[in-house]
Amino acid sequence: MSSNRPRDLVVAIDIGGTFTDIALQDLASGQSWTAKTPSTPRDPSEAFLTGLRLAVEAAQRDAAEIGRVLHGTTVATNMILEGKAAPAALITTEGFRHVMEIGRQDIPRAANLFAWVKPKRPVPPSRILEVPGRIAADGSELQPLDEEAVRRAAARCRAMGVQAVAVCLLHAYANPDHERRVAAILRAELPPEVAVSASTEVLPVIREYERSLAVVLNAQVMPAVSTYVGRIERRLEEAGIAAPLLLMQSNGGVAGARVIRRAPATTALSGPAAGVVGARAEAAATGIADVITVDIGGTSADISLIKGGRIGLTQHGHVGGWPLPLPMLDMVTIGAGGGSLARVADGALTVGPQSAGADPGPACYGRGGERPTTTDAHVVLGHLPPRLLGGRMVLDAARADAAMRTHVAEPLGMSVHDAARGMLTILDHAMVGAMRVVSVERGHDPRDFALVAFGGAGPLHGASLADLLGIRTVVVPRHPGVLCAQGLLAADLGTEFTRSLPRGQATGDAAIAAAFAELQEQARAWFAEEAVPDAARVLSPVVLMRYAGQGSELAVPWRGAITTAEADFAAAHRGLYGFDLPEGTPELVTLRLEARGRLPAAPAMRLAPGTGAAPVGRHVLHLRDGSRDAPLYDRETLGAGDGFEGPAIVMQFDATTLVPPGWHARMHESGVLLLTRP
Amino acid sequence: MERRCDPVSLEVIRGAVRAAQAEMEALIERTAMSAFIREKKDFYTALFDADGVMAVGSNVPVFGDVCGPVFRDFPPETMKPGDVYWYNDCYGSRGAVSHSNDQVLLAPVFHEGRRVALVMAWAHFADIGGLRPGSISPDATEIFHEGIIIPPTKLSDQGVVNEATLKIFFRNSRWPAACQADLRALLASVGLGATRMAEIAARFGADVLADALRQLLARTEATIRTKLADTFPVGTHRFTDRIDGDGKGSGPLALRFALTRTPNNRFVFDAEATDDQSPGPVNYLMNPDVPGMALGLFLLGGDPTQVTNAGGPRAIDEVKLREGSLLQPRWPAALGMRGLTMMRMLAALNGLVAAAGGPAPAAHAAYVILLLRGLAGGKPFLMSDGIGVGYGARPFADGTDAVYFVAQENYPVEFLEAEYPARLLRYGVHEDSGGPGRHRGGCGIVRHYEILAEEAVLAVRIDGVQCPPWGVAGGQSGRPGRAVVNPGTPRERVLAPLSDGNRLVRGDILLIETGGGGGHGHPFDRPAQQVLEDVEGGFVSAEAALHDYGVVIRKGVLDEAATAARRQDRPAAKAFHRVSYADVLE
Repeated sequence: MSSNRPRDLVVAIDIGGTFTDIALQDLASGQSWTAKTPSTPRDPSEAFLTGLRLAVEAAQRDAAEIGRVLHGTTVATNMILEGKAAPAALITTEGFRHVMEIGRQDIPRAANLFAWVKPKRPVPPSRILEVPGRIAADGSELQPLDEEAVRRAAARCRAMGVQAVAVCLLHAYANPDHERRVAAILRAELPPEVAVSASTEVLPVIREYERSLAVVLNAQVMPAVSTYVGRIERRLEEAGIAAPLLLMQSNGGVAGARVIRRAPATTALSGPAAGVVGARAEAAATGIADVITVDIGGTSADISLIKGGRIGLTQHGHVGGWPLPLPMLDMVTIGAGGGSLARVADGALTVGPQSAGADPGPACYGRGGERPTTTDAHVVLGHLPPRLLGGRMVLDAARADAAMRTHVAEPLGMSVHDAARGMLTILDHAMVGAMRVVSVERGHDPRDFALVAFGGAGPLHGASLADLLGIRTVVVPRHPGVLCAQGLLAADLGTEFTRSLPRGQATGDAAIAAAFAELQEQARAWFAEEAVPDAARVLSPVVLMRYAGQGSELAVPWRGAITTAEADFAAAHRGLYGFDLPEGTPELVTLRLEARGRLPAAPAMRLAPGTGAAPVGRHVLHLRDGSRDAPLYDRETLGAGDGFEGPAIVMQFDATTLVPPGWHARMHESGVLLLTRP
Repeated sequence: MERRCDPVSLEVIRGAVRAAQAEMEALIERTAMSAFIREKKDFYTALFDADGVMAVGSNVPVFGDVCGPVFRDFPPETMKPGDVYWYNDCYGSRGAVSHSNDQVLLAPVFHEGRRVALVMAWAHFADIGGLRPGSISPDATEIFHEGIIIPPTKLSDQGVVNEATLKIFFRNSRWPAACQADLRALLASVGLGATRMAEIAARFGADVLADALRQLLARTEATIRTKLADTFPVGTHRFTDRIDGDGKGSGPLALRFALTRTPNNRFVFDAEATDDQSPGPVNYLMNPDVPGMALGLFLLGGDPTQVTNAGGPRAIDEVKLREGSLLQPRWPAALGMRGLTMMRMLAALNGLVAAAGGPAPAAHAAYVILLLRGLAGGKPFLMSDGIGVGYGARPFADGTDAVYFVAQENYPVEFLEAEYPARLLRYGVHEDSGGPGRHRGGCGIVRHYEILAEEAVLAVRIDGVQCPPWGVAGGQSGRPGRAVVNPGTPRERVLAPLSDGNRLVRGDILLIETGGGGGHGHPFDRPAQQVLEDVEGGFVSAEAALHDYGVVIRKGVLDEAATAARRQDRPAAKAFHRVSYADVLE
């Protein structure tokens, strides 16, 4: 605004454990630049700024031309996963101090009752304080809030020296008045640096344990996320960038820093969501809207599904073993990736969840790793040539062979190649199991989808996973190893507004329309806060329905009439579960308004037409039906339309793609590598 | 020659079968209608080989031979694709089902015309008729008081459901709509399981699948046999445990177990010395497969590469039960409250391990159930609320606080108040209920209800009041639970712990406290800091810290010197503890 120059640059920054990736794009021309810099875990905003400068220099532009800054953050995720969040207190209704401790009073279905040890709650009962005051299930006030008790609780919080205070009162989803009052008193009584979060600000839904957990986790990550966001904003200011900072949320939409500071728990899946948004964009560039995505990293693989360009969301997600019923990417994570270790016990072979990590890493890294990992299996079979492109690392095939022989082949009495193939088969099937969860179990036939394979190890597995599922197209993104930064460039602003309908309340089309109108008011305020112009505003009303008595809802689009919604619901129930209940009573439980603010996109870039694919070398692949000499391609040298048959290997800086026999590879003009089979 | 399953395919099939099971369970959870199933999650699935031997079960060690009763009336070779079989007949299934509320659906799975597996879905139905709403009642004295009995029946004949049978069943329920939806959920679940298993058979071939299931069984059996031999020296090991009684004046009732390892490594389980069956409904018709299943689960520990299956029962060579005893009652004795006997049986099996010097957990309390039925706004209601208890302390960890059982969840406060004419005034940990020990027994729960119904009749089931869960290795027994109406008022009424017909009216306050688990190790060896945390967290009172643990806490601050002095005077301990220390429990 101070400058009159057009602010056509968009920058995306993805901070990983080792490297910080930056993608810069010119919205006018579509041209883009990338940069990579070592992460600075002590103060990640350092690498943020360094990387940003590198990218701006590479583009020979001025930082003042940046009009939007997008960022995926793992600050909240890591704190939750590592249990390192800030010491917090929880204020709750008198008589219910142990709700968190009791949880759902179950020993998990998959646990052994004699061996299971209950995980420690994020807040110990000694820091859970009760206040008198009671709201009933219908939202009416049974007992007024004891404000003096709230002040005493505030004093105790101060004495305990907690950095965050969460508030979760019974039935606050039905009437948040007491909760708001408690939060207001706390904010007035506590020093400003103590974060205060009320459950209904985060998640206004029924069930006190899950809601308590969500608000506690939210409050606990608030101080760190707030500090972090503040630092980045200062860095941007120092660099002369006046553009808004937008952060990726678990639902695949970005939101402004102000929104994130209030509800940082919504960033719990920020990183994976950025990858999935990127996968959607890469597939869309080739005209594909229905995809299953698989992101294979070192220790885990994340799987999700996109139908008609819409990312599958769930209200039943988990983060670090805790249920977190915020709308988030419907993602299945399995503990298997490139670093997963093989184990033989009682004549059975398992892969993962133990991982060799980055240190010592796979045996082929030659850093002291002795047991074979997935990466070693790929090396043994020739899928990974010894010298990775870019020359960053030389893989020691002899060590991979020895590890495979000693720890898998000999104990099981099989050849080294069979042992390596066995490991990959087990891993592929574990991933296929997760892919079936997001597809078959959600009523989709995976054969109707393409597969987007990314993450460092994704393109090695894409074709074999597709074979197992009957999928005929695999999309290998332009930069499979650094898709998250690309994904951020493609993101829109997004959030949801929900409202539970009180039980048994008579509802008609008009009443629902009126309730949606109220949600639209909230959405309008949010659009204004995020400065979304009218033309870019998209609203999708959805109703969550169930048969009266059921405990779980299905989302169907709201098309203005209950009768239509009921028919849609019955059809969805049949599609998903195989039956409906004509004698049952369909019930509208929750209204949800999904709001999207479309951000301007750059024109698509076109790859120059190729002159025919030419191998840069050859390498021996050990296939099931024998060993074969296969061509190696350098992805950088492939032009639009260049194609070749498998078996072949495609190398690039951040990933290696395996094209098995029977598969055809072709460079799409968007730069995406498409693998297809007849 | 049949094709063998290689180690790679075995792992892949194990994963695929587990995934099919998870999918079957998710379907039940999302589509069932009664709160008992969808909130409390009282349902299970399992998978059997072509001959009906359980290959992949659940982590609930109370399942017996589920397929046998069906095979008796419907020989497996007569089964067709699309068939579904159904029963809840306890006596007709030799205790495979042990109270009539549990409905079992079984479907055979075919591949290329050959039967390759069977799948099971199982759930507790909230009401199937009988004496009182909820069908189980401490007042029942015959199985006929506990609802309709379904002998093994063909519910679906090649995909055609016998709607007439279902109509009869639904007509016998006080809540037919929920019954109907729950049954549809189970039917859909076995249908889904059969589809998934057929897909697995198609992917790997029937022979490979059969061999994989055989290997899973053999692996479990071999592991359990080895661990049994590691745990039990040659000779006979005995343990006796007790339930308080049957609520009709009989009791306490003893479970007397003996496990013999012969010099040639046969394992014989003998419960014939158990007390006689009882007029009240605490009889537990124990399927002979159960002791092996339960001991097996303990011995497998938390190893994620193992699956619970019939390998457990197969590791026990002989099971001796006496007809007419509490564990093998004669028809038509009532069974509805068998849960407390079953939970005590699990503790007594661990007692056998402890008596042999093995690393067994101390005893857990039996989960508590209450059934509140009556009229609210002129409409009948049934609230079956299951309440968690404390579990036994382990040599490596405290007992688990405030849990019910595997896979069974609570009714959240907000759900309960929205659904039933009751309000909760308190829901928390029952202080001082966990048995003191180096590792503390888990604490039970306190649940405080205000009755909003005009009128209601309450059944309550609390065991372990006279015979609380034992402690081991110096640990002490857990402290009991109780049920009191209008506590601390002139209208206070202490209810019999196992009773029905308790009348409550609007405004009454009902206090339920549940019992804790036994402790493990001498309480004076518990680090004082942990005792302090227990006090701060509301698990142990400052008085109990002093009395039971010898830890002095003044105004919330640990007095280390006084604690050290107090701990000089260390009470003598013996192997077991139930109210007082003893070398052997009788």
